[in-house]
Amino acid sequence: MVLKTIRTATDRWSQKDSEFSSMFEPYTGDEVIALDCEMTSLDTQKAELVSIAAVKIKGNQVLTSDKLDIKLQKPENLTGESIKVHRIRGVDLLGGEVLGDALQQLLEFIDNRPIMGYNIAYDITVLNRFIRPRFGFSLPNKTIELSQCYMAQLQRATPDIEPDLKFETIAKKLDVPMVGQRHTALGDAITTALMYVRLLKDAVPT
Amino acid sequence: MSNQFDVTHPPFDLLTKDEQDQLLTRLDIGYFSNDELIIEAGQSSNHVFVVMKGAVAEIDPRLEDNSDGGVIREYAQEDLFGAISIINGTSRYTFRTLEETIAWLIPKAVFEVLMESNPAFAAYFQNSLSEKARIIESRRSQQQGGSDMSAFMLAKVGKSVLREPVVLESGTSILEATRTMREQLSDCLLVRKGSQYGMVTRTDLLEGVVLNDHELNTDIAELASYNLLTVQKEDFLFNALVLMTRHKIQRVVVFDGVELAGLVELTDVLSFFSSQSHVIGLQIERAANIEELARAAKGTTALVSGLVSQGVKIRFAMDLLAALNSRIIAKAFEYIVPAEYHDKVCLLVMGSEGRGEQVLKTDQDNALILADDLDWPDCQKVMDKFTLTLLDFGYPLCKGNIMVSNPEWVKTETGWKEQLGKWSRKVDGTGLMNLAIYVDGAPVAGNQALFQRVRDNLYTQLGSDKVFYSYFAMPIRNFSTPLNFFGGLKRSNAIDIKKGGIFPIVHGVRTMALQNKIIETNTYKRLEKLAELKIIKNDFADNLAEALSVMSNLRLNQQLNAAEGQADDEDANLISAVDLNKLDRDLLREALHLVKEFKAVMTHRYHLER
Repeated sequence: MVLKTIRTATDRWSQKDSEFSSMFEPYTGDEVIALDCEMTSLDTQKAELVSIAAVKIKGNQVLTSDKLDIKLQKPENLTGESIKVHRIRGVDLLGGEVLGDALQQLLEFIDNRPIMGYNIAYDITVLNRFIRPRFGFSLPNKTIELSQCYMAQLQRATPDIEPDLKFETIAKKLDVPMVGQRHTALGDAITTALMYVRLLKDAVPT
Repeated sequence: MSNQFDVTHPPFDLLTKDEQDQLLTRLDIGYFSNDELIIEAGQSSNHVFVVMKGAVAEIDPRLEDNSDGGVIREYAQEDLFGAISIINGTSRYTFRTLEETIAWLIPKAVFEVLMESNPAFAAYFQNSLSEKARIIESRRSQQQGGSDMSAFMLAKVGKSVLREPVVLESGTSILEATRTMREQLSDCLLVRKGSQYGMVTRTDLLEGVVLNDHELNTDIAELASYNLLTVQKEDFLFNALVLMTRHKIQRVVVFDGVELAGLVELTDVLSFFSSQSHVIGLQIERAANIEELARAAKGTTALVSGLVSQGVKIRFAMDLLAALNSRIIAKAFEYIVPAEYHDKVCLLVMGSEGRGEQVLKTDQDNALILADDLDWPDCQKVMDKFTLTLLDFGYPLCKGNIMVSNPEWVKTETGWKEQLGKWSRKVDGTGLMNLAIYVDGAPVAGNQALFQRVRDNLYTQLGSDKVFYSYFAMPIRNFSTPLNFFGGLKRSNAIDIKKGGIFPIVHGVRTMALQNKIIETNTYKRLEKLAELKIIKNDFADNLAEALSVMSNLRLNQQLNAAEGQADDEDANLISAVDLNKLDRDLLREALHLVKEFKAVMTHRYHLER
């Protein structure tokens, strides 16, 4: 935590004139980004990104119309043909490599909004591994861990409880439908977003 | 993908592929707590909502103190609301969740663009129930196209169109054979020659006499052809058709093992294919005794379920069944009642049978009018036999004992006039109920003049007594019409569709028909007459008729399930939202809404609020 604060302070200084400077401003709006990445490994040092999905949450709404859904392939498989499939616009690819452009889109989409997700620290760590070498900073955003919100809610009612924090268990407990396929980045991001909205509004049924 | 927004359901299936894609990219998802206000009456809506999960009630805030809380409609999974609020600018009613609800949100601007660019889509939201039902029906039958073949393909020879053969011994003369065929209304006969059968058709007889110079006393065995094509009783009817087509013949002989079982004729097979109704009609007319009539009677259930599953409108299926049933009952009556009395009595069928609205065989509801000068000591005995015969045909006994076996329902013309007068003056529950059953009566056998005189007398007696009609209409309010069971996810949250939906329409229309001396007994026809006489508006009459069809259809499906043992008989009128698909739910919601509106109109018209 302390480390992140120091690191962010340094990054803010180094980025103060870059196009990403606004990411270091305190966020005053009411939106949250639900984020989910699919990766090739559970090891944060080895994992490659397969897809990145992010969707905005505003109040009690999950703005599925305002989302980012990027599918990546290993660079060696990437051809001009497959780029079209990846929903990365040609203009974004000008003068850049695919992953870099994808991350640029992600940073612009997130800006300085808080990032929420399930096991979000893991996603952030992997993302930072690719962001820092390219952009010279790590994500400064506030993060919200869904399972922590869930546990806090439960423990408010029953302090001693040690809840099951598996994704499916939480979804079931909150009675939130799985939207889209489980284990696609977009599906998980939307489902996570719904669970978050649900947690903020109503108590967890016991 | 699970929980994807489904564009294959109405009205979104009316959109083009491009419009659907455009819609899908613009959807948001909203989460609402239990008892959360979504749209307030008088406010505008920013979205059209499609429920993903949960339940929402549409509430009339002016009626919120009513026992039902002013609930007008309920919306559950896949249901859409808020469109009308956007079309009208503001919402007439309040929308509030009944439980935690997650809904797709279609932004107002997107919805308006779709309304603008796609007239069919726009029309969907502005249509009345009858138009909406028509759109849905036509889409449904397109989707099901060709399903009617399977019933035909799977029919067995022995269970479909088997005809009793006319069998004569060899040695029978052409003259006698011709006479027998005429008597038996048969086109062909079989000749037994030892252990062998031969076939002789009318054409064979004609050609035998005219072209081959046979005498009229020639043995028909000489004319018969013996290389017959046969099928087994258990064969598929389809095989018989193939055989006949291949050999260009009109008939095949059917055996049950080594025993002769009957004949199958090409015309019967073809009419079975086009509609089973024709066959039952023939069976009834051809029935030479009670047993054959019983066989025909038992075929009607399969007929109705077949017709309805083939997409025949329930109203027409009802008409057809009513026609067949009244023929069956009339024929049974003519067999059982000695011919000398036929002109001195009149048999009425009453209740749903009288209205021609039963979809399956309902309880026997019947009555008998006797001529004042009739002397018939055996009447009771004969009527007991009649009731038992109908029971044997598959018409259950009337639980209220409203049958000709009950002397209360067998009276002379004068006796009936007095009885009806008594019921209408006393205005108590039983009397009015009996009266209601009676005024749906339709004469099916005997002397109709007896019935007409009793009916005209009743009209004169009732006159324009407003108080009477008010009492008569009262039961409309006996059963509530719940609009709030759609959110229910349990089977126990069921609605009694007969009491809550069908009865109020039938009884309300019956009341107005009686007051206006409309002699029709069928509710649809009564509605047409009422609209013709400008007693109710044309549109309203159409929509009520459609609502009645929608509910009768649902009830029929439930009854068919009961008949197949998939549901309890007790539950035959209970419809639960869980078992309904999205289309049926939409239609039922609209239908119940109309019932409620109709009840309000009737309450006002007959001053039932007290």
